[in-house]
Amino acid sequence: MADSILKRIAEGDRNAVQECLNKYGGLVWSIARKLLRDQDDAEDAVQEVFVDVWKNAARFDETQASETTFIAMIARRRVIDKIRHSARRISADSLDDVLLEPFTRSDKAMQISVEAEEAAKAMRTLRPEQQQVLRLSIVQGMSHQEIADATGMPLGTVKTHARRGLVAVREVLGVRGNLQEATV
Amino acid sequence: MTDERHDTLFDLLTKQAIEGVDQAELVQLKALAGELNYEVDDSFDIAASAVALACIDDIEPMPASLMARLTASADEHFGVTSTEQPVEDLQPTFEFEPKRSFLGWLGWAVAAAACVALAVNIWFTRSQPQGPTVAGGPTPTASPAKPDLKAQFDEMMASPNMIKAKWSPAGAKDVSGEVVWSDAKQTGFMRFRGLPVNDKTKEQYQLWIFENAKLEEYPKDGGVFDITAEGDVIIPIDAKLATKDPKVFAITVEKPGGVVVSDRKKIAVLAKAETITS
Repeated sequence: MADSILKRIAEGDRNAVQECLNKYGGLVWSIARKLLRDQDDAEDAVQEVFVDVWKNAARFDETQASETTFIAMIARRRVIDKIRHSARRISADSLDDVLLEPFTRSDKAMQISVEAEEAAKAMRTLRPEQQQVLRLSIVQGMSHQEIADATGMPLGTVKTHARRGLVAVREVLGVRGNLQEATV
Repeated sequence: MTDERHDTLFDLLTKQAIEGVDQAELVQLKALAGELNYEVDDSFDIAASAVALACIDDIEPMPASLMARLTASADEHFGVTSTEQPVEDLQPTFEFEPKRSFLGWLGWAVAAAACVALAVNIWFTRSQPQGPTVAGGPTPTASPAKPDLKAQFDEMMASPNMIKAKWSPAGAKDVSGEVVWSDAKQTGFMRFRGLPVNDKTKEQYQLWIFENAKLEEYPKDGGVFDITAEGDVIIPIDAKLATKDPKVFAITVEKPGGVVVSDRKKIAVLAKAETITS
């Protein structure tokens, strides 16, 4: 089995860096553009993400996550950090569409990573409110308070849906830690 | 009580993965994790990232200018000297490959510009040269006129130790002007006469800066800009990275916000600068 791109980067293979940019550039860019509407902010974030990827390539553990998910995780962390250091924004996508849209993207998820496919399956098992909260927070980048304001749910309920939804996904993925949610 | 603490810890881990936590929340998270012997790992982040991937609508190609900056950044990070290509290798060619490098594409574009001369000429005839006006700055958004740009441009053009160049049309007629750049100040201006007004909702101009006479593989992004006034306009250069002794400046027309790889064949105008000898 061929070495992963990240393993090769960790070993100093310059060709792997270009492969990484070619393979994951669009993904990282799409994550940044989805959550950061400002083009300059998104470009800055993407540059920072890839520097993070190169520096942290050696940390990649394929038993924990796929390469795609690992890079998406680094991208999300950097973008979230960027959002927290600037004024929050709510996605310009129609909120009504997001609120009403059922989770139906398993075909797309299957093309991206194993975890995405599993997450898609897990999402479909969640209660509609949990799906909704996860979509609004993770995909649209809305804070818990913004979700509460937009949906009319109490803030505590939003937190509970987010927690239970994410814990359920985490358990389906088999990446849960040493504590388990008491009740999902 | 323990369940409440578990819930609070999981709330914080969830929040950290979804929207981040502030310093106070981080302290609380670490304290609770310690009390409950919970070893904080990446599991919540992995779950959130998997959901994000599962919900992604579309993978949008990264702008080529950003890709070029990342490649240059990688070279710096890994201590690799960038590949350079001699100027003589840039002979115009009509061969088109969708995934060619910018350098190869530039050579193609020079030749292709001649082939689209008719369309470009029609586009260009909208220009009516007038007295110098000041166009919006090199940002995707409409910029208010800055009356001092003309004075700044003239001052730099009159100053010693400036990099100066003039535009020579590459397939399009009636476009002229100059470029002036200061290495010391890391600022510069472009003056255009006859460059058509663009519809920024559909396309924007983009400047590329080559620092080596041999034309490096990936030039520096000089910024995206709009021409908002016909005739004689001045645009400040918005170099994204430190630029030293630029040799060639090239203008392309791209999608709003910059280049997308799949759009390389949508070339309307290409202008190439040459050093002024005075």
